[in-house]
Amino acid sequence: MVPLVFVTSMVVFAVIQLPPGDYVTTYIATLQAEGEAVDQKIIEDLREEYGLDQSLPVQYFKWMKNIVTKGDFGYSFSYNKPVNDVIGERMASTLLISGLTMIFTYVVAIPIGIYSALHQYSIGDYIATIIGFLGMATPNFLLAILLMFASFKWFGDPMMGLMSMEYIDAPMSIAKFLDICKHLIIPVIVIGTGGTCGLIRVMRGQMLDELDQQYVLTGRSKGLEEKKIRRKYIVRAALNPIASSIGWNLTKIFSGSTITAIVLNLPTQGPIMLGALRNQDMYLAGTWLLFMSVLTMVGTLISDIVLAWIDPRIRLMDSRM
Amino acid sequence: MKKGLALFIVLALMISMFAGCSNNNNSAEASGSEQESVTTEQTTGEVQETQKVEVDTETLILSEAPELAEKVGTGELPAVEERMPKLEDIMIEPVFDSIGQYGGDLRFPWRGKKDKWTLEKMTEEALFRFKLDGSGVEPNVAKGYDVNEDATEYMIYLREGMKWSDGVAFTADDIVFYYNEMVLKETFGKSPYNCYYSVNPETGEKTLADVTKVDDYTVKVKFADSSVLFLERLAIDNKWMFAPKHYMEQLLPHIVGEAEAMKKAEEMGFSDIKTLGKYTGYYYWIVQDRPTLRPWLLKTDTEAAVARWERNPYYFKADAEGKQLPYINSIVCQKIESSDNIILESIAGNVDINVFELTDFTLLMENRDAGDFRVTQWSGTDWAGNAVVFNQGVEDVKLREVFTDIRFREAMSVAVDRVELAALVTDDLGSGQQASVPEGLVNFKEGWADKWSDYDVERANTLLDEMGMAKGSDGFRTYKDGSDFELNIFQIEIDSTSEMGEFEALIKKYYEAVGIKTNIKVVDSTYGEELIQSNGIVAQTFVPALFNVALRPDNIVPIRNYRSWYGSYGLYYSTHGEQGEKPEGDIALLQEYYNIIQSATDKEVVDEYSQKIIDLHEKNQWIIGYTSPKPRIVLVKNNLKNVPSKLIYCDEFRGYGHSKLQQYYFGN
Repeated sequence: MVPLVFVTSMVVFAVIQLPPGDYVTTYIATLQAEGEAVDQKIIEDLREEYGLDQSLPVQYFKWMKNIVTKGDFGYSFSYNKPVNDVIGERMASTLLISGLTMIFTYVVAIPIGIYSALHQYSIGDYIATIIGFLGMATPNFLLAILLMFASFKWFGDPMMGLMSMEYIDAPMSIAKFLDICKHLIIPVIVIGTGGTCGLIRVMRGQMLDELDQQYVLTGRSKGLEEKKIRRKYIVRAALNPIASSIGWNLTKIFSGSTITAIVLNLPTQGPIMLGALRNQDMYLAGTWLLFMSVLTMVGTLISDIVLAWIDPRIRLMDSRM
Repeated sequence: MKKGLALFIVLALMISMFAGCSNNNNSAEASGSEQESVTTEQTTGEVQETQKVEVDTETLILSEAPELAEKVGTGELPAVEERMPKLEDIMIEPVFDSIGQYGGDLRFPWRGKKDKWTLEKMTEEALFRFKLDGSGVEPNVAKGYDVNEDATEYMIYLREGMKWSDGVAFTADDIVFYYNEMVLKETFGKSPYNCYYSVNPETGEKTLADVTKVDDYTVKVKFADSSVLFLERLAIDNKWMFAPKHYMEQLLPHIVGEAEAMKKAEEMGFSDIKTLGKYTGYYYWIVQDRPTLRPWLLKTDTEAAVARWERNPYYFKADAEGKQLPYINSIVCQKIESSDNIILESIAGNVDINVFELTDFTLLMENRDAGDFRVTQWSGTDWAGNAVVFNQGVEDVKLREVFTDIRFREAMSVAVDRVELAALVTDDLGSGQQASVPEGLVNFKEGWADKWSDYDVERANTLLDEMGMAKGSDGFRTYKDGSDFELNIFQIEIDSTSEMGEFEALIKKYYEAVGIKTNIKVVDSTYGEELIQSNGIVAQTFVPALFNVALRPDNIVPIRNYRSWYGSYGLYYSTHGEQGEKPEGDIALLQEYYNIIQSATDKEVVDEYSQKIIDLHEKNQWIIGYTSPKPRIVLVKNNLKNVPSKLIYCDEFRGYGHSKLQQYYFGN
């Protein structure tokens, strides 16, 4: 895995430099837009200051060296802070929101999927499927805007951001907690419904497959309770593909659904990273992309582990080999 | 049963779709009728004047905000008489409507550092600031000035007893230090501003001014040659000509040494000495604890979820009754990710003041009661709402021949139906017109807005035929020599929001109707900037804005590599001929006239040649405008008072700052 990480980091670093221009060009465009006059000398000075006049391999090597020896991921040009600070600031809220939505997605989707499979073609099945598909078909940000507007029309407050302005600097209290819960309703619904549909259908499909299996019939004929059959055998087997894809959600947790976050004004990582890529803020964007690729690999590893835990067949397969 | 259910669901969905559509029609009609009751007159450049006051400051009894009075009681702050300048030197800020009362927080969402200039302009205190109608400058931080006959020597008088926001006295030392140790030594990443140079009328040589202290409250600025417009140019280029000496001398490397400066940089969280210099010397208003003279001081990080600007207890202005300003306690800036979020928060009533585009007008008007706010219109200094420019210095020789031909420009101007265009692009809130100096500004000319503004496809075709650009078999025109002619119009995105593309799509339609094959290329701002720098833009949708040719001509006179319509002629001027191309004809005249203005020895010459530059623009119409300048739609919460209903809103006048936020107050 480690060599893969290095190769990824090299590719990532090269890709960021691909768009024409560099951070200095973006910076100058911003300055011009703000009405400042920029002369040639300043442009050259800036390039030197940011180390952008050196060759690509040299820049990469310096960056890697700092990461490996000092854990210093570089300096963000647009925020004028070390990258570690920029990312660290928003970690807590990102994890909170993404964690909650993920839990919401799984907690809602799996039972619905199970119900759907057991009562196939019933009204409940159809309704669950329709809502799921609607949630999947509507773009997340559109749903977010609709819900915000609905909230504004009916409750007079669009519920943007993580909490109302009065509570932002206030210490934690019951009122603040309730306020945060209120504000979390829309993000969780929006991000959650997008993901539930796929899970519901997968769960449903897997369950339907398992329901007709031999061992289920055997269990029933031997007199096992229906509930026990479902819980211990069918659902566990059906959870296989879901468990194996849990790991890939790791990256989603840490990026926090960018477009929705921008629309809802949530303080998560997504908007920062979008900004970094657009401004060609090299070290911030490079660090994030590196982080994402490492997380994907770690996620796959986690999936393998979870799968082995749930499914004894895999453990046994290994020991036999 | 199952089939029936499926059919039912499909029908239900279809019915709800149609119901949705008809609802839209109803609301459109409703907003349409509301529009009719609102005047859609274009605001002229009139301004609302502040109330005239004659106050004998020596008889004033000063008072202060209750929070400050409390601190005086506990001994944290000195009494208000000691915090403000001595009575006869206090500056009285006239109000727009009425004397106000203390209290309240101004809610203004922002995007953090990206919007630092907006907050800068709101809180700026320049040495001399522009008058409300832009007709000149008036003393602000300075108390007044004297100038000698040939404008080579300026005496600037300061206010005795005036203090920085940390209580240290503000004196002539701060001005002299700023000029000699910061401007001349280039410690904040900029070379000395244009305004500090005087130009020798014969040799064209530029020399820097000499700034010396006469006494604690008087500064002498001496030029080698006449600098008639020094104070106005100062108000544009540098605005503030001071810095806290006691603070800066502890961190400038050439005073304390590099090691000490580096230590300070690290303490304050900057990566190196240059950044330290840039932020404490130039972007200083967002550096916490850096002393300023502004009415509000930043007390939190710029990227905080809520950034707070708190009242400056040492602010030097008072109202006519002796109440120390500002009335409002603080400016509260909630951090938002993108400017889209602002409008929803605004109509919900969570924003106290904000400026919007014309396209948001209907939405704002509809929600005035829900959000408890009023909507006013401020004017700008744009020459048009939408315009197209053809690069007069484009590298392709054949294209240049076409673009520099005045018949081509006339043809492209009359080929467009401005009435239809304005109706579509501005929702009939604007009208069609030519790019020209707007009414209310100096150099306005009656009738210029109608030049080439008729819709005359025949004339366009005649002109193009005259030029030899015959129509080919595919209906599109070719060059004189028969090769294919294609026009690439660039559109540079400013940010990711707004109505990109409507105007451009319509222009393409009109141009192609007279046989000019047109392509619209949308590029993001970074790439667009690169193209401008390398003279890669063939044609562009671009609107110039300026309020005074002599002071800020870069949009219409090529003096630096800034705008695409004058190719590399601007670069030629700024590098004194080393790079870029030498202009000829009327464009060269533009530069010549500007040189005369810079070295003028009296204001009449300045005015005469400014007018000549404008006349050249009218004659050549290098910038072809199609719609009238868009007013700025301003949302103001109903309880926010002393906000002018008419204002000239532009960068030179510092945007919101021109409306004097320090005299805003919350009332009933």
